Formats: sequence, C-alpha cells, structure tokens
Amino acid sequence: MITWRRFFSRTSNLVGLGLVLLFVLMAVFAPLIAPPVNPDIPWPFKNYSQTLSREPLPPGPDIPLGTTPQIKNLPQYGIAPGQDAAYQWDVFYTLIWGARSALRFGLVVALTTALIGAVVGIISGYIGGTTSMVVMRLTDAFLAFPAIAAIWLIQRAFYTNLYNPYIDLQALSGWETLLRNWQIDPIMIALILFSWMPYARLMNTQVRRAKRAEYVQAAESMGASGARIIWHHLLPNTISPAVVLGARDVGGMVILAAAFIFIGFGGNVAWGTVLVTSRDYIIGVGGNPFKYWWTFVPVSLALILFGVAWNLLGDGLNTLLNPYER
Amino acid sequence: MPDTDKPPPLVVPDIVKQIGLRLLAIPATIFIITAVLYGIVMLAPAEERAMLYFPPRVPTTLSAEEMQKRIDALIAEHGLDDPYPVQYAHWAGQLLRGNWGYSPTYNEDVWALIKRRLPVTAELTFYTVLLMVPVALISGVMSGWRSYGRFDRGYRITAFSATSIPPFILGLFLLSIFYVGLDWFPPGRTSIYTLTLSTSDFRTITGFLTFDGLLNGRPDVTLDALRHLVLPVFTLSLLYWATISRVTRVAMIEEKNKEYLTAARAKGLRERQLEWRHAFRNAAQPAFTAMILSAAGLVTGVYVIETVFNMKGLSELITRGFFYAPDAPLVMGFAVVSVLLVLPIILLFDLLRTIIDPRLREDGLDI
Repeated sequence: MITWRRFFSRTSNLVGLGLVLLFVLMAVFAPLIAPPVNPDIPWPFKNYSQTLSREPLPPGPDIPLGTTPQIKNLPQYGIAPGQDAAYQWDVFYTLIWGARSALRFGLVVALTTALIGAVVGIISGYIGGTTSMVVMRLTDAFLAFPAIAAIWLIQRAFYTNLYNPYIDLQALSGWETLLRNWQIDPIMIALILFSWMPYARLMNTQVRRAKRAEYVQAAESMGASGARIIWHHLLPNTISPAVVLGARDVGGMVILAAAFIFIGFGGNVAWGTVLVTSRDYIIGVGGNPFKYWWTFVPVSLALILFGVAWNLLGDGLNTLLNPYER
Repeated sequence: MPDTDKPPPLVVPDIVKQIGLRLLAIPATIFIITAVLYGIVMLAPAEERAMLYFPPRVPTTLSAEEMQKRIDALIAEHGLDDPYPVQYAHWAGQLLRGNWGYSPTYNEDVWALIKRRLPVTAELTFYTVLLMVPVALISGVMSGWRSYGRFDRGYRITAFSATSIPPFILGLFLLSIFYVGLDWFPPGRTSIYTLTLSTSDFRTITGFLTFDGLLNGRPDVTLDALRHLVLPVFTLSLLYWATISRVTRVAMIEEKNKEYLTAARAKGLRERQLEWRHAFRNAAQPAFTAMILSAAGLVTGVYVIETVFNMKGLSELITRGFFYAPDAPLVMGFAVVSVLLVLPIILLFDLLRTIIDPRLREDGLDI
C-alpha cells in the first residue's frame, strides 16, 4: 500500500506512533516495571515512607524519581482530609501506573464521544431537512456549555458518598459501587456528555455532502435500505476526519482531566493527582523552580509527551486517510 | 452557477435581523442546557437529592429518625417528589424572578456569591478574547499565505509547542520565573489593599478594575490590574491562539490556489489586497467556526487559570468549597452563569463572522 509507505516515511508519524507504543507498553508491563505492594488492589500510588515532613525525598536507590508528599484533601476514595503528608508517594511508581489510567481514560472518553457524535451526526445528516437543522441547533446549545460546571454538578450530585473519606465501603449503594469498581469519575462522565458535539457537526456536514454523490444515489435507486446505505456507503467515505479528531482527542482529554484534577476535582488520571502538590514545589521554593524537580518534571513531561504522541498520530492518520487534503 | 441571466437576488445586509435571531437563540440555549442538567440531577432518588440541600456541618450524631425527619422536611420544602417538569418549572421560575436560591455551604445567597466574583472572571475572559482573536487571525493568515516559508516554519514550531504544553503547567512555570524569580508580574488580581477599593472614594462602576481605575481617575489601579493580568491572559491565549491560527492557516492555504485569486491578480491587484481583502474574507469562515467551537473551552480554561494565578473569580466557588458537601442551588447557579459567560462570546464571534464574510448567511451557526 503506497499510503502506508508514505505514513512510515515521515519522521513525525514514526515519533508519534513510537511514543504511543511506549505508553501502551508502560501500561501493559506496569506490574513488572513497578511491582505493586498488593497486586489485588492496583492503586496507582505507593506509600513509600511515613513521615510528618512535607519535604520530598530526592531520588535514591529504591526510588528512582524520589517521592512527593501525599495530597491534601483530595476528593478520591481512600484519602482522608487531614491525613495530609502522612505518607510520601513514590513518583516513579505513579509515572508508570499513571500511563495505565491515562490510556484508559483517554480511550474511553474519545471512543465514547466519537461514537455518540458520529451516530447523531450521521443519522441527522442522512435524514436531512428539518430534522438535521433541529438536531444541529441542539448540538449548538450543548456547545455553549463549559464542561467544568457539569463536572462539578455530577460530582456534587452523585459522588458525595464516594468521595466522603469517612464513609463505610459497605454503605455504598449499588450504582455507587459500580462507579467505584469501574473507575468512572465525574470528569469522565462530564467530558463524554459535553464533548461529542464537534463529532456530530463534522459527521453531519460530511454526510450531507456525501449524500449528493452519485454512488449514494445509485444505491438508493437500486432500492438499498437506509441502514445499508449508511453502513456500506456513507460511513466508509465520511468517517476519516472523525478518526483523526478522535486520535487527537485521546491526548487532549487526558490533559484536560489532569487540569481539572489539578484545580481540585476528583478523578482517576493519576498523573494529574501527583501534580496537585507541584504548585508548592514550583513556586514555594524562592526563585529556584527546579530545586524539587522530581516532584513535577517527570509527570509533566509524561503528560506533555502523551499529548504530543496522540497529536502526531492524529496528523499522521490525517495524511493517511485524507491524502488529498494538503 | 456559471450562467444566470437574471441579476442575482439583492442581499440586504440586515444586521439587525441577524442580531435579533442570535439573541433569540440565547434563552433557547439556556433552556436546553438547564433542562439537561436538571435531568441529570433528577436521576438520583429524592432522598439523595434532599442531601443536596443539606447544610454541611450537620452533627453526625443525629439519630436515624431525626435524620429522616430532616430529609422529609427538605423534600417537602423543595417539592423533590414532584415530577420532573414541575420541579424544573419551579426552579426556572424562581431563577427568572431573580431568586437563585440560598447556598447552605456558604450561608449566603447564590446570586450575591456569584455577583462578587463575576467581574474577575469576565475581565480575564474579556482581555483574553481581545488579545487572542486578532493575533490568531493575523498570524494564521500570514503563515498560510507564505506557507512553507521561513515565517511559516517558525510559526508551526511555536504553534506545535503551544498546543503541547498544558496551560496549567505553563502557568506555574511562568509564575515561578516572573513572580518568584523576577517579581515582575505577581499573582492575584491587584496588589492594592482591596478595602481601599471599596470605599466611597473608589466607586465600582463596571466591576472591571482596569476600567474602574480610569473612570475614578486612578490610573495606578488600572496599571496595577493590568500588571496582574499579563501572565494569566498570556497563558490562556497561547493554547487558543495555536488552535485558531492553525485552522486559519489551513483555510488560507486552500484559498490561496483558487482561481478567483489568479483572476484578481491578473487584474493587477496588489498582493496585500489579495491576501486581506479576498483570501482572508473567505478563509475567515472556518476560523470563526473554530472559535465558536472552542468558546466553552475558553471559559473552562479561564476557570483553571484563575485557580493557578490565585484570582478570586467564579472558580473560587468550585475549588474553595466543601468538596464532599453537596449544594444544589450553588451548583445550578454556577452552571447558569457559566452559560451566560459563553453565550456573549459566541454571539460576538458569530457577528464578527457575518461582518467579515461577504456571503452573509441566514442559518446561524453552520459550516
């Protein structure tokens, strides 16, 4: 395939693919690279030492990237407020296990939003006319809403028990246990609810354009059903921009989630969680932001590279799938 | 359509009609969003929703019957057993009458809480949009017009770095360099003792410190507020600048090779005129669509950056709250005010687009 050769001939595509593979390998082999204390509960944080000091320990033989103190008042199950700085967390351990939570979060959000958006966009675009207009106006209404307010609403409405550190695990109701076991956090729900709109708009425009093509009219004149036309004719010809957008979204969503965790929401992207204290160690040390570099540099770098990797992969997919666009 | 004998139908640039249509869309949008949000909350059973109205520091030693009595009272008070449309209509009616509810966690009226913090967020958003839109359009047009040249290469590297660095991490680094290290741009909203800004000498007119300083004849206040705005506005603009200028650049590259430009060039128009009067006007369409798409993200970004730079805007309500004490009136009020912040931005972009694009469109937000 000529296009595949073109894909692999560009350095940036290879870098993107390589970085994504690196993160996948980190996630898959996490138990081997950084063995968990208790294999049954793969918590992405490891308590290294118990101390009352908030001074991070520098990298040493046991701890390749040092430690960072446990986060104060974190809305995540199992960390009680006031337990602040009782433990030091192993940074390297979270770096490795964070890849798992980041990939999981990014893929779940990107795939679900792409699916919802594509279904809404394709069906409304195929029906066309007033339906398409009404659905697109509804989409525009959703566009005007900042997801952050939805996260807060969902966290307050459904997660008060889950994030109450003093509650008994047995007292959680059925759906709360489900949310806990499947690691569904308010950020994930809110981002899924409020980021499908770009996909819907994109697919709607694409389908409305493709519907006028001769091959679709030919299929229609042969009496093909609507579902058949959508599945066999419209979908393969219109899906590629949504795939590109989806690939870029995997990284973008994880970075967004990390930002939300950073400002104090509850979430499962572990890289975001260890960055919560980083503010103190970047600003609080009087002019030398790199005195405690290990508390934030490795994890920020992982986040940045994660975003870059999926962006490059998206660009590569773009040249592969839409070869005539540039 | 190449062959038309009839003269083209006269398009009246009825800007008033355009504005009217878009203003009509605002209440509709608020209705849809709040109905959805209220629907999400309604998924929880009434007993759980009663907890949303519970004050946070309830003694945990309450007996079971006492607790049940309180919950029943709350359900009766807020009508939580009513069907969804009734409850939603009740809530929306209260909102329209200016009653945003009472926040049990802050012990204050929700509207009072919001009103105090709204100007901070609005000011930051205002300056970001003011800076970002022209810079993004100009750099996108210039790099697209001279694509794959030296300027374009520099632009692409900058834009790629800008999209890669998460704004909250960038903000922290800028703070450590320009505040802790150099002490040029401190965090917060102003370094002036805030009580002196709430006396009768300094009247709050717009709520924006930069404007109020000038209106009160206190340029020092304006300068100080601007000094505090430099870093957050820069951090916030960078990501959105990159996103929007990229779209503009791609649109310009597509536009550059079209035949009408060759025709115009053959007529002897200057390059600058072709670039800005012809190509840009057509390429602006996708750029403004991208801006409208990212308007909500911009406001979300404002909340995050406010927290990083310690500006006590609306985000303070989220981050300083009791995270495991629910507070329905405050949350819904915050959601409504967030939509109210996004809608004017979308309206502005939409109007700018109709002004710049020669083919004045009738059907609102459409690609």
